[in-house]
Parts: sequence; C-alpha cells; structure tokens
Amino acid sequence: MTYLFQILNGIGLGMLYFLLAVGLSIIFGLLQFVNFAHGAFYMLGAYLAYTMVERGVSFWLALPLAFLAVGALAALTEAVLLRRIYAQAHTFHILATVGLALAVQEIVIIVWGPIGANLAPPDSLSGVVILGDFIYPEYRLFVIALTALLAGGLWWLLEGTRLGAIVRAGSESPETMALLGYDTRRINTAVFGLGAGLAGLAGALAAPIRGVDPFMSVEALSVAFVVVVVGGMGSYAGALAAGLAVGIAQSLMATLWPEGARLMIYLGMAAVIVTMPRGLFGRA
Amino acid sequence: MLDRRSFLATSSFALASLTSPALLRGARAAGADLVVGAPLPMSGAFAANGKFAALGAAFAAEEAGTVLGRKVVARDLDTEGKPATAARRVQEAMAEGARLFAGGILSSEALVMGKEVTNGGGVFFTTAGADEITGKECNRGTFRWSVPTHGAIAQTVRPLIERMPQAKRWYTITPQYVFGEGLLGAAKAVFQEKGIEHVGNSYHALAEKEFSGYLTNAIAAKPDVLLILSFGSQSSDTLRQAVSFGLKKRMTIVLAWASGLEQFEALGPDLCEGVYFGAQYWHGIDTPSNKAFVAKVRATRKFSPNYSFAGSYLMTKLLLDGAAKAGSAEGPAVTKALEGLTYAGLTGDEEIRAADHQVIKNYYLLKGKPKSQMADKDDFVEIVSSGKSFLSSEAAGCKMS
Repeated sequence: MTYLFQILNGIGLGMLYFLLAVGLSIIFGLLQFVNFAHGAFYMLGAYLAYTMVERGVSFWLALPLAFLAVGALAALTEAVLLRRIYAQAHTFHILATVGLALAVQEIVIIVWGPIGANLAPPDSLSGVVILGDFIYPEYRLFVIALTALLAGGLWWLLEGTRLGAIVRAGSESPETMALLGYDTRRINTAVFGLGAGLAGLAGALAAPIRGVDPFMSVEALSVAFVVVVVGGMGSYAGALAAGLAVGIAQSLMATLWPEGARLMIYLGMAAVIVTMPRGLFGRA
Repeated sequence: MLDRRSFLATSSFALASLTSPALLRGARAAGADLVVGAPLPMSGAFAANGKFAALGAAFAAEEAGTVLGRKVVARDLDTEGKPATAARRVQEAMAEGARLFAGGILSSEALVMGKEVTNGGGVFFTTAGADEITGKECNRGTFRWSVPTHGAIAQTVRPLIERMPQAKRWYTITPQYVFGEGLLGAAKAVFQEKGIEHVGNSYHALAEKEFSGYLTNAIAAKPDVLLILSFGSQSSDTLRQAVSFGLKKRMTIVLAWASGLEQFEALGPDLCEGVYFGAQYWHGIDTPSNKAFVAKVRATRKFSPNYSFAGSYLMTKLLLDGAAKAGSAEGPAVTKALEGLTYAGLTGDEEIRAADHQVIKNYYLLKGKPKSQMADKDDFVEIVSSGKSFLSSEAAGCKMS
C-alpha cells in the first residue's frame, strides 16, 4: 500500500516536472537553443503568484496571470536580447542565459529579500484526502488533474492544430518555412513565450507545495535538464514520459532507499545516456 | 547543430556557473586591512543563512572599526556548502594574509575548514552543530559558538517527553551527513533512556527539496511525534509539506534545530503555530547584551537580528576582541586570548571552555504562537524552556592537539 501511495505521489511530482521541462524541450526543438534562464522564469512565476495572492488576488486568477506575465516577459526578452545571438556559438547562448538567470536571481533578492516565503494553497484545496491509513493533500491531487489537462491541451496544440504544424515544421526546417513566407521570427518569439510561460505556471503551481525562495531556479533547472536529457531533446512525449519516470523513481526511492532518492535520478540519467544516447523519444 | 555531447558539456558548465557564481568572480587583492574571513554558503540550499551571516560579520566589523591600528574588513567567501570548495576558499584567503575566520554553517564544511585554518596558523570560529567539531575532531585553532547536537537534543526532546508523557511513538527525518547523524544519535540515546519507541527514520540527501515520499513513510509508521532533524530550508520544506499532509492535526511536530526568525518569516505564522522549535538564539531573549544588540540592529539595519546574523556577529566580535586582547591577529596568540574567556553574551553569561574550545551557552525550546497572539510581526514564538547541556570535553572525546 505504501508503494501505491509513493507512485501516486510520484505522478504528482512527475507532472510538475513535465510542465517545467516541456517548455525547455519545445524551445530547444524549435530554436536549437538551450535556455538556462528557464529556471528563472519558473521562479518568477512562483513569486508573481505569491505576490498577487498576498495582495488579495484570487489564487485561481493568479495562476493564468502568472502564465501570461511570465510568457510576455520571456517573449520580450527573446525579441530584444536572445534573438540576436541565435546565430552565434552555443557559448554565447550560455553566457547570455546564465547571465540572465543570475540577474533575475539578484533582482528577486533585492525585491523580495533573501529569505523565502510560504504560499498557502487556496482554502478550497487546503484539506487532505484520507484513504485508510494514508493521507494525501487535496492540492496535490488538483495539481495532478490540472497538469494532466494541460498536457492533453498542449499535445492537441502541437499535434492537432495548424499552429502546431507550423511549429513542428519550423523545428525541422526553418529555412523552408521562411521561403514559404512564414515569419519565423514571430513563431520563435511565440514559442519561446509559451515555453517560458509554462515554466512560470509550473512555478505558480509549485509555490504552495515548496514555497518560494530566490534559489529555487537552480533546483528547477537541474530537474528540467534531467527530464529533457532522459526524454530526448525537443520531444513532447519524451518530456512527459521522463517527467513521470523521474517523479515516480524519486518517490519510490524514498521508501526503497531513501538516502539514494536524489542520486537515483542522476544515475538513471547516466544509464539512459549510455544505453539510449538520444533519450527515450529523441529524434535521430 | 547542437549534439548530445555538446549539450551535456555546455549544460554542465552553465549549471555549475549558476550554482557557483563565485566561479565567475575575479579575485580581490589583499590590502593592509585586518580581514576577518566569513566562509559561508552564499549560494545553494543554505544561501539564505549564509547571506544573513555575512551581514552579521559585516555589522561586527563596522562596530569594531579599527583593531590593532588596522581597519577591520569582513570578507565573505562562498563555500557553496561544499567541504572541498570551503577548504579551497580559506586556503586562498590565507594565502592573501587572512588568519581570522568566522563561518561554516554546515558541519561537513566546518570540520574541513577548522583543520585547514589551524594548519595555516589561523583561528576558525563556527556555528556548525556536529559534536565532533569540539569532540573527537577538536583542534587548537577551532572554536564553536553553537550548542552541539547533543545539547540541542537534550534541550528539545527531553523537555517535550516530560510535557507529553503519553507520546510514546517518535518518527525522525534526518539529513544524511555528520550533523544529522549527530542529532539522530543523540535522539536515539534519549529515546532508549526514556523508554520511547523510535518507530522509524527516513534519511534524505543534503540536496533534497521534495519530502513527500519521506512523509508518506512517516504516516505509515503512525507516530505521536514527528521529529525533524534537518536544517535550514530543508527543515522548512519538510515542515511545509508535513502541514500540507495534515500531520499537524495528527501528531506533534518538532524541529530540533531551527534557524529562528529567518525560518519563521519564510514559513509564516500559520505554519509555525503549535510547532516546537529548538533554537540557538531568539531576538526576544531577555538579557542586557541581547537587548542592546537587538536595539542597535533594529535602529541601523531596520530588522530584528536572526540566528545567522547574531551568531556570525558574535563570533566575529569575539575574534576581534581576542586579537585586541592578544595584541596580535596571528592564530596562536588569538587562540590563547580566547581560551577560558567569560563574557556577557547574547544568551546570558557565556564561557569559552579552554579544554575543547566549546562556548557554554543556553539552548532554547520555542513554540509557535497563533497569529492573533503575536505582539509584532517578528513575535512568532514563545520561549518554553532553556538550559545548558554539554558533554564534558573528556566525554566528547576531545584530545586537543
């Protein structure tokens, strides 16, 4: 029974990891650009949600607003700064995005202080579900349900719509898309905004679970990095499968070998790299 | 095209840069100032503690102004909470002439730095908790202000067993490094002595942020008391997640080693209410020295001092007082001046025990107040009890080298 609850718990963790990592993966797939400021967008989403709720805004409104605000900010960053370095070597990408991440972290410390803060879940989800001897927070069940819906919606957007087809085509051959008359720069900006907005939404959803603090971005980026490498760079399905695998492995290990729970994530990543170099769903 | 090999290589470098921004900083030149090194985790999971401790060291330096005719400067050195990095940082600072160091929040880094500084002829003062620091691993150049793990458990677990004689089943969540092992070992000894059933323990890694899996284990063991032995943001995360699992209504929750005000601010009053916290320092301690210190910090810094700030301040002040008394900033002279020193400390009368360099001071058991009973925004807890519990230097195993 304990294992069943650990799996349930792992699904909850994994869906959050998916939401966090899928944006990174989509951005990489389209732009061949590794965004090390992705964790900073996750942190901004968490802090924006926290600030809005502290100032009396409903949590339910704060969630979409955090997504939109972070997405818009990221799109602006892409248009003003990052677009200019796509053609440069990857070391420039690292320099710009790591610098951006550090700048955001310091700004967060200046604005909100070095100490973290707590964001309580909304009253309607602050209870627990009791099943026999086990307890599970209602808020975590809500996160599982919402992220599952978002995963479905995102899949439909990427696989079932004209916009998704354009994005996928753009990731395969941006030159052809440009020759066909598509404005690839706008597509890039929109996709970057969407990916970062999803990270912001993941941060807002995670805030009632883990609180907010100025150093949460690095932790988030590490997990997103593992999920993208395991799932396959640029793969939506890979991000989902790897996010769930990492979450469930981490949770199950808390019972099987607690001291190795975190280590197992990285050992698992190493095993995937060795046996499946392109990740679970990576393209050739 | 970015291939997997390039992705992994560049990603590793970028992640290292984000977790260790010190890598991107240039070296600073040494001057004629009297430098007190503050080797602290300024990045990583314990960075919030490190940043306040750095402020405390700077406050002490500013208050001292000039010592031995040299301007006092507190220089923070980012240890990242890692022993190897910490050792490298103090080595670099010593190569530039620094001999006095106050810092080392984590036991693992403090143990390494104490040896490095002592070997280099300096003095190292720390707040880290593992018994070994002034026990089996004690040395001539290392001093410790905080009550070690033995005393922390004695002043939290023992009074709570007396207050709650019906609570016989205790579950522990422990960070797997020397500090956590010290707390767990001390707790197990008290459990055995008092007839308490230790119904389970979950170890977690030092970098862990997600504790729901461990809490599921704890729920399955049906304890009366959940004893959290983690430190800093990890204990906050454990408590936050335990409350979200509804455990506050089902069992008593105790954090044996809380960071005090900085932690309560991060958690908020609703989470703290009814929870017991062990603490080295609380700004509400009723001693003349502490009242004066709190008033000065509030007047000049506009906030109430927390444990990280106060501990770092006092250690830096003691090092500077020792240097002034000795007439020298060299390690052996300052060590001699500090050994056996008694003074009016923040927690009352404090004494630096000469035999093992352990400061003898109070440890506090606090309990979270309801928000409605808070007198001001910082009045999160009431002091339930306090006292001094220390192993003798012989029992701690200190053989001063």
